[in-house]
Amino acid sequence: MIEVKHVSKEFVSPKKYPGLKGAIKGLFSNEKVVKKAVEDISFSIEDGEIVGYIGSNGAGKSTTIKMMTGILKPTLGECIINGIDPSKNRKDNAQNIGVVFGQRTQLWWDLPLSESFTILKEVYNVSDEDYKERMKFLNEVLGLPEFFSSPVRTLSLGQRMRADLGAALLHNPKVLYLDEPTIGLDLVVKDNIRKAIKIINEKYQTTVILTTHDIGDIEELCSRIIIIDEGKKIYDGSLEELKDTYGIRRKVSMEVKKQEKLKGLNLAEKLGASSEECCMEFDEENKILSVTFDKHKLQVPQVMNAVMEVTEVKDIQIQETELAQIVKEIYNHGIDGKAV
Amino acid sequence: MKKKLRIYFPFASNELKRQMAYKGAFYLFIFISLFSSFIQYFLWMAIYGSSGNGILGNLTRNEMIVYVFMTYVTSSMVMITISDWVSMDVVEGMIAMNLIKPIDYRISLISRAMGQAVYRFLVPGIFIWIGLEIYKVKTLGMQVTGIGSILLYLLSCIMSFLICVLFDFCFGMVAFFTTYIFGMLMAKEALISFLTGQLIPLSFFPGVVQKVFDFLPFSSMVYTPVMIYLGKYNSSELCFVLARQAAWVVILYVLGSIIWKQVTKRLVVLGG
Amino acid sequence: MIHTVKRYWRLYKVLIAQFFKVVLQSKVDFLMGLFGFFLSQFMGIAFLYLVFEQIPSLQGWTLDQLIFIYGFAQIPRGIDHLFTDNIWLVAWRLVLNGNFDRYMLRPMNIFFQVISEKLQPDALGELLVGSILVIRCMMKGIVVADGVHIALFFVSIFAGAVIYTAIKLFFASLAFWLKTSGPFLQVAYEMANFAKYPTEIYAKGIRFIITWIIPFAFVAYLPASYFLGVDGPFGTGGSGGVVAIECIIAAVFWFVAYALFQKGTSIYESAGN
Repeated sequence: MIEVKHVSKEFVSPKKYPGLKGAIKGLFSNEKVVKKAVEDISFSIEDGEIVGYIGSNGAGKSTTIKMMTGILKPTLGECIINGIDPSKNRKDNAQNIGVVFGQRTQLWWDLPLSESFTILKEVYNVSDEDYKERMKFLNEVLGLPEFFSSPVRTLSLGQRMRADLGAALLHNPKVLYLDEPTIGLDLVVKDNIRKAIKIINEKYQTTVILTTHDIGDIEELCSRIIIIDEGKKIYDGSLEELKDTYGIRRKVSMEVKKQEKLKGLNLAEKLGASSEECCMEFDEENKILSVTFDKHKLQVPQVMNAVMEVTEVKDIQIQETELAQIVKEIYNHGIDGKAV
Repeated sequence: MKKKLRIYFPFASNELKRQMAYKGAFYLFIFISLFSSFIQYFLWMAIYGSSGNGILGNLTRNEMIVYVFMTYVTSSMVMITISDWVSMDVVEGMIAMNLIKPIDYRISLISRAMGQAVYRFLVPGIFIWIGLEIYKVKTLGMQVTGIGSILLYLLSCIMSFLICVLFDFCFGMVAFFTTYIFGMLMAKEALISFLTGQLIPLSFFPGVVQKVFDFLPFSSMVYTPVMIYLGKYNSSELCFVLARQAAWVVILYVLGSIIWKQVTKRLVVLGG
Repeated sequence: MIHTVKRYWRLYKVLIAQFFKVVLQSKVDFLMGLFGFFLSQFMGIAFLYLVFEQIPSLQGWTLDQLIFIYGFAQIPRGIDHLFTDNIWLVAWRLVLNGNFDRYMLRPMNIFFQVISEKLQPDALGELLVGSILVIRCMMKGIVVADGVHIALFFVSIFAGAVIYTAIKLFFASLAFWLKTSGPFLQVAYEMANFAKYPTEIYAKGIRFIITWIIPFAFVAYLPASYFLGVDGPFGTGGSGGVVAIECIIAAVFWFVAYALFQKGTSIYESAGN
């Protein structure tokens, strides 16, 4: 059980001024800039959940993860991870968690991977039997043997990520934090990593918290997502609910034969919807009419019929709003308070 | 030329800005660098005090004081270590990146070094320099250094800077041939502090050794400008040492070009 | 408690074994490092020789005595260098680029993790040069070599190494506030070079600083003068009082530096902000 209670984190840094003159000015000034990276965030996560923690760059994702793992101390509030406050009891918390940062390895760069595991065995005080059993499982799931004796610096990104994941799991942590675990990987490797995460979660009931920019990760892994923007939590709920709430718009694109016949057509009025619930766009060059509408209000055939009454339609395409689109919109425009 | 300047100027100004960004370092650096120069000063004072002779290694006690502080000012200004940047670029695979860009890697490094040299001249170089001149006149009763000597000193410093940076570029390229540069850096630093006269004026060495030093670039790095500043050369010697500095600039430039060509060839073979 | 010590020791053994493997694999690099150190030590001795060409003694100290002080200074320095070299990385980069994160994520003492990550083979150069010079002086008969002196010799070396480590740790810890404290550490560390000479040559203020503020005098010159049988500035004469003071200083500095380091890790900001 993970509880994050009203956590805030501020960073204080000396004020910087632009330009060369500014650099000189900066030498003699004492002004400080306070940046609120995370502001009053709360949530709780049950054992065995896989939670996607998403937000745009600089939204405060990594800062939150770093507070939960004990790297940073919160300015306000507290994180309780399985009854332990990492800012007070770092070592005990560290024994219970595994962490993978996609952008940087935690393995010993110059040593063969096997040596890293030998060292980690001692670091986490893993018994010989447990070590054997875990390695057997990790070898199966992550395919470590093919590069087990190579120095870490010689591994490909995909291999390194598998190695890092294995290293984070050696001591069978209750909670696994993954910070962009699939960044820069190709599709096949991504898929393997996701599968591995799923298997681990199912077999050991490991709680997984992952941050990612990859919508695929979220769709395949996460039953629940938390979205944060500018340091504030703006959504916390299931994936379906998010799709339901924000994926209500559907778009039908039709290539028409005679564009002049569309003049004066007002679909919203014709179908008895407001202009927000149904809006038209026309691409003159390709003769494509796009209608975006609320799927709870109107049906696709209704819209098509209304258009076909006026002109002949050559081709038709129906688009459901994808999660990527939803997330993008949320990043761009924020979220209405009422929506959550 | 103007266009060239526009391309490489940012390297210099960015370095200058980067240096200034560490405000805390700024103040402490002035304090402690002065501090360490003073310790050296006391060591020499003890040495002169233990000697019955007023002149050691062709320098009077007062000249030694000037020597100690001007060596510090000069070396902090001209001895910019670019081999660190080179080896870091090698490690991070940045050299290949730099090959793609339409700029001369070496000139970009030199520009960056120039930014650092300017910074070092401002902090703490010029403060120590002025302080030294005041001390010279007020306490030691010496003459203020003439404007002619100062100009010649600065000219010599510019060449010293180029010699140091070009030499260090050649040295940094060694990073391509060894994975382990730390030992070499140690060796280089030890040798340089000795051969440039930072540790002890070259005039303390036996005559034969001094002759050998004449054929090495190191004496041109720090010893020459400081000796010019002290007015130890007559006009014909002056012409000679300046010409020798210029010759080293040319030689090291050419040498650097040759090594760079070899290295980039190797780089292409290794694939980055 | 014993269990914990055993666990740390087990881990350290793995890392030492790794260290020997690396040294054996890269003999050339290792020798290169040794060569670099030999050269820099040689330059220091050569400086003394050149100076003593001009003067018979330096404020009463002979060349041989100065060489002993010089050599003796290398030993605690070498021990510290061998075992705690990774502290430099904390000062220069680990805090700045956020790689310090990894120490925060493991269930072990952070300081232990930092120093156990690397043993520095170059340090063997200092230890070797130091030992050779000290042995040379013993053979020349200029050092007192009775039982008490020899015992205190080892105590002094250990305390000296602790002082080195404490000073390094103190300045490296500033990185938690400044992001990088490499230049400060560099300057502080290099001041050790100046405590290789008898501190009477300096003005009072400076002598005070290198004796009590950044107490390198207690690592090199002061205990060395005791082993040379020379009366030190504290009038402790032939007694080992100076070594006792050295031990107290080592303890105090260690606690201060370690407290600062711990305070630093608690305000560590990681990178990316």
